[in-house]
Amino acid sequence: MTIRIRLDRMLFERRMSLSELADRVGVTAANLSILKTGRARAIRLSTLEALCAALDCQPGDLLEFTPGRIEDLSDFDS
Amino acid sequence: MRALGPQSVSSFLKIALDVVYVSTVGVSAIVGPSIVALLIATPFTHSPLSFRLSGQIWVSPFSNPTLIGLLIGVETYVVCLVVVLNRIRRIVETLVMGDPFRPENVGRLRWIGAGLIVLECATDGLRWLLAHVPQSHPSPRAGESWFNPTAWFAVLVVFVLAEVFREGARLRQEAELTI
Repeated sequence: MTIRIRLDRMLFERRMSLSELADRVGVTAANLSILKTGRARAIRLSTLEALCAALDCQPGDLLEFTPGRIEDLSDFDS
Repeated sequence: MRALGPQSVSSFLKIALDVVYVSTVGVSAIVGPSIVALLIATPFTHSPLSFRLSGQIWVSPFSNPTLIGLLIGVETYVVCLVVVLNRIRRIVETLVMGDPFRPENVGRLRWIGAGLIVLECATDGLRWLLAHVPQSHPSPRAGESWFNPTAWFAVLVVFVLAEVFREGARLRQEAELTI
């Protein structure tokens, strides 16, 4: 994905662990890990809102755009 | 009654499909060796096969090459049916698990479509053979038209369904990876 969620940087700045953030946000640690590693396809605004509230930051602090190849979504030919 | 998941309509359908599948495999296991036995035991001549049963002599209405051709056609039909039924069983398994929109089901539906094409061609071939081979007791169905538009329409529907499932699998994965 060319848009990434920079959770690792914010967790470091707020001195918070992933599991603690998961408890505060109400999302499982596994799903937060998917966000952190850039494997997520999309994020709900409600989740983004909860992350910003828990980390006391703005959405722009979490989202990072890297110019590059846009993924082809139709990759289910089996 | 629910449509998906355990103890749903899908689970009963799976049981019925399992029974039909095992029966079809049984038929295939009988016809296949019969063809081999016929090829070995009967001279490859035009004189029809005959055998005595319950004091009566039964004579095949077809010559031996024609009979072998018919049996090969029947075995091809049954083997294709086994392939199609197995794929349908696997799809119904995912229905019972409550998760039908999986990428594997796209390939399975395409295999079912291909299998139906072979089945229809085998049926048309057998009908042609019965219509054009001289017999002592002509089949009452020998003069029927071969082309069955309903069957070919079903093939088209299956391929369209495969594309629907492809899109469904993509949407499912997107939903899974939406946090």
